[in-house]
Amino acid sequence: MRETTVGIGSGAENVTELGTSDMVLNIGPQHPSTHGVLRLKLVLDGERIVSAEPVVGYMHRGAEKLFEARDYRQIVMLANRHDWLSAFSNELGVVLAVERMLGMEVPERAVWLRTLLAELNRVLNHLMFLGSYPLELGGITPVFYAFEGRETLQHVLEEASGGRMHYMFNRVGGLKEDLPAGWTGRVRAAVAQVRAQMGRIDDLVLGNEIFRGRTAGVGVLAPELVHAYGVSGPIARASGVDFDLRRDEPYLAYGELGDVLRVAVREEGDCLARFECLLEQTHVSLDLADACLDRIAGLAPGPVNLRLPKVLKAPEGHTYAWTENPLGVNGYYLVSRGDKTPWRLKLRSASYNNIQALTELLPGTLVADMVAILGSMFFVVGDIDK
Amino acid sequence: MAPLPGRGLAKGLAVTLRTMTRRSVTAQYPDVQPELPPRSRGVIGLLEENCTVCMLCARECPDWCIYIDSHKETLPAADPGARARTRNVLDRFAIDFSLCMYCGICIEVCPFDALFWSPEFEYAETDIHELTHERDRLREWMWTVPAPPALDPAAEEPKEVAAARKTADKQAAAAAAAREAAAAPAAVSPSPDSAEEQQDS
Amino acid sequence: MDVTPVRTSGTSGTSGGHSAGHGHGHGAPAGGPVPLGIPDPARPGAAVEQRRLGPLARLAPDPVKVVLNWGRRYSLWCFNFGLACCAIEFIAASMAKHDFIRMGVIPFAPGPRQADLMIVSGTVTDKMAPAVKRLYEQMPEPKYVISFGACSNSGGPYWDSYAVTKGVDQIIPVDVYVPGCPPRPEALLQGILKLQEKIAGESLAERYADGPDAAPAAPRVPDAALRRPLVGGPGSGPAAGASGAPRSGADR
Repeated sequence: MRETTVGIGSGAENVTELGTSDMVLNIGPQHPSTHGVLRLKLVLDGERIVSAEPVVGYMHRGAEKLFEARDYRQIVMLANRHDWLSAFSNELGVVLAVERMLGMEVPERAVWLRTLLAELNRVLNHLMFLGSYPLELGGITPVFYAFEGRETLQHVLEEASGGRMHYMFNRVGGLKEDLPAGWTGRVRAAVAQVRAQMGRIDDLVLGNEIFRGRTAGVGVLAPELVHAYGVSGPIARASGVDFDLRRDEPYLAYGELGDVLRVAVREEGDCLARFECLLEQTHVSLDLADACLDRIAGLAPGPVNLRLPKVLKAPEGHTYAWTENPLGVNGYYLVSRGDKTPWRLKLRSASYNNIQALTELLPGTLVADMVAILGSMFFVVGDIDK
Repeated sequence: MAPLPGRGLAKGLAVTLRTMTRRSVTAQYPDVQPELPPRSRGVIGLLEENCTVCMLCARECPDWCIYIDSHKETLPAADPGARARTRNVLDRFAIDFSLCMYCGICIEVCPFDALFWSPEFEYAETDIHELTHERDRLREWMWTVPAPPALDPAAEEPKEVAAARKTADKQAAAAAAAREAAAAPAAVSPSPDSAEEQQDS
Repeated sequence: MDVTPVRTSGTSGTSGGHSAGHGHGHGAPAGGPVPLGIPDPARPGAAVEQRRLGPLARLAPDPVKVVLNWGRRYSLWCFNFGLACCAIEFIAASMAKHDFIRMGVIPFAPGPRQADLMIVSGTVTDKMAPAVKRLYEQMPEPKYVISFGACSNSGGPYWDSYAVTKGVDQIIPVDVYVPGCPPRPEALLQGILKLQEKIAGESLAERYADGPDAAPAAPRVPDAALRRPLVGGPGSGPAAGASGAPRSGADR
């Protein structure tokens, strides 16, 4: 960070007309440099940020309250919409919680298919950020490549589930229906195609001097802050907090994928490290998808869902399920009173905790770096506000 | 010799004029319809004959965007001794596509296969009331419904096929038993053809 | 003395629907320029949001209007009001695969003041609604709005939520509604084609005329509805309610 001191004459600092006063600057809620409708209230001293406050709630849609008026199948539909970039992972958390309450054992084929689809969804999510982050820093090209990859994957996902973004493919007890014939081959081709394109983002962005100049050493997030604010996901791992639920508390079939699952960790904690983590994670997810496809090919034929009772009621009690969503740890606290609707379903969303660290991360940085830091926090506003 | 001022502009405009008269070579949406997978969730078609007004779809819809009106009709008894039967008659079936969230629950719960997904997506409107498709419009969509894709070889048999196979197996077994019976005495055997037909279908 | 009544009756005799206009105090002569931007007591929002037409658009002969409409429909500088999931599909529609720039929709408007088309994609919450209305008012006339997706059409999945506006047409007039949750990018392209058809066939004088058929389909909401007084917390007791009540009364 370069500092320039401009001489304004001796004693000027004491004179009120020439001395600077703090300025309050609102960024958002609708601003081109933020994605989504997050509003930041910055107090500036010249170009330097004195304090920052993320003002949340512009996308608050009351999803948790709506859950209480819907049965479990209807909730799945609503749950995938709060973090719209990782719809499959969100559905998964809800159905995992309900299945645990019911003590349900999901067929093996469904478990592996869920793992595959969750990883494909992770790639989709990361591609979005791998494209949009350079866009925020002024490079318009990578986002076109990123969306090319997204279209490829969305096409195969649409073929299986019927939706491009909101798959609605999870059901309590498995998946909605089985795959169309020949789908696995097409997924393999799509994964290979995306992997072949990933090099372009590597070269174009990571090797770019301007990109490195704007991100290296900017917005360093200390591991203590990570713990204090409950930051998770690639952002936490970029600060050296080596925590990934897929490895540390395996759900789905991740326990058997230990040899493929590499957890991307960096020590620097700056914007560049966060981007590198995301990029490496995308590669790992593509590998995981291939590994899942291998396993699915070897599985015995079988069902992908369980037959459910006509009226599905979770027994009285409560449970907490958490999953490693693309953006971090998402938790689902389900309290049931034995009805067909939950009494309460609390979401612990990754983005909400992640952006809280901005209050500590932004003060002391320059306004121009604010965009770089904000973009590297990889959040989805719906996930913040629910 | 110095280049003429505005030469670059003229050159650029010449390119524009030249390409303006040519046909475009892009094969994209408005010229070419996209190839959509059969499972694609575009719009819902209604096959009215199958609807029994059980209201399951309207009840299970997560945002309750299906409107059904019906009345009961009394059918006169066929023979003098029998009771008169009542049946439900559909008066109105409408889906509000401005509210619909395309989850497919209605299609999943329909016990008589009256609702189907169609991948069509071209129904943007200038008036929001026209997004509520009444039964005639929903019926129009029915003709765009594609055949479902074949399932993965590792998939479990669909329950319709499984049920049909069970019946066919039962009939085949019955036919075989009858044939054995026919081999011993000269009895009248039920025709085995019907069982084979079942299997074929 | 008796000249005036004769003339008045003559005017009302030639154009029947006119006497109502006189009653409001601003009669528009038949066939003449349509009065625009004049506060109308019948439409409380109109004074705040002045809708003006330049003389060229108003007085131009029909062939020129056709050319103007042609120009308008193929250079829609668009302002993306991306709010939720649909914004991602909007971005997908602007990317290489679907690429709506080939239809003349240019997503690089620096801000609402340079835009002709606003695409509201996503859930409009009550907290966001004033910002949506304000940015819409900043756009220059003629302006068009596409409501993209179930949430902005009618609240969609969140229609029964306490925090969500039940459709963006509650606060701003919408020209084209694109159904879907989220609609696929091709659906947006079709919505754009629909809007272009509408622009080609429209007459601006009619669009901005005060009349039952020319008025935007959306009911107008008074601005005061968006600036409700703060609701006092449970601790503040009846004092907050008492101070709030007369204020809202005065607004009305």
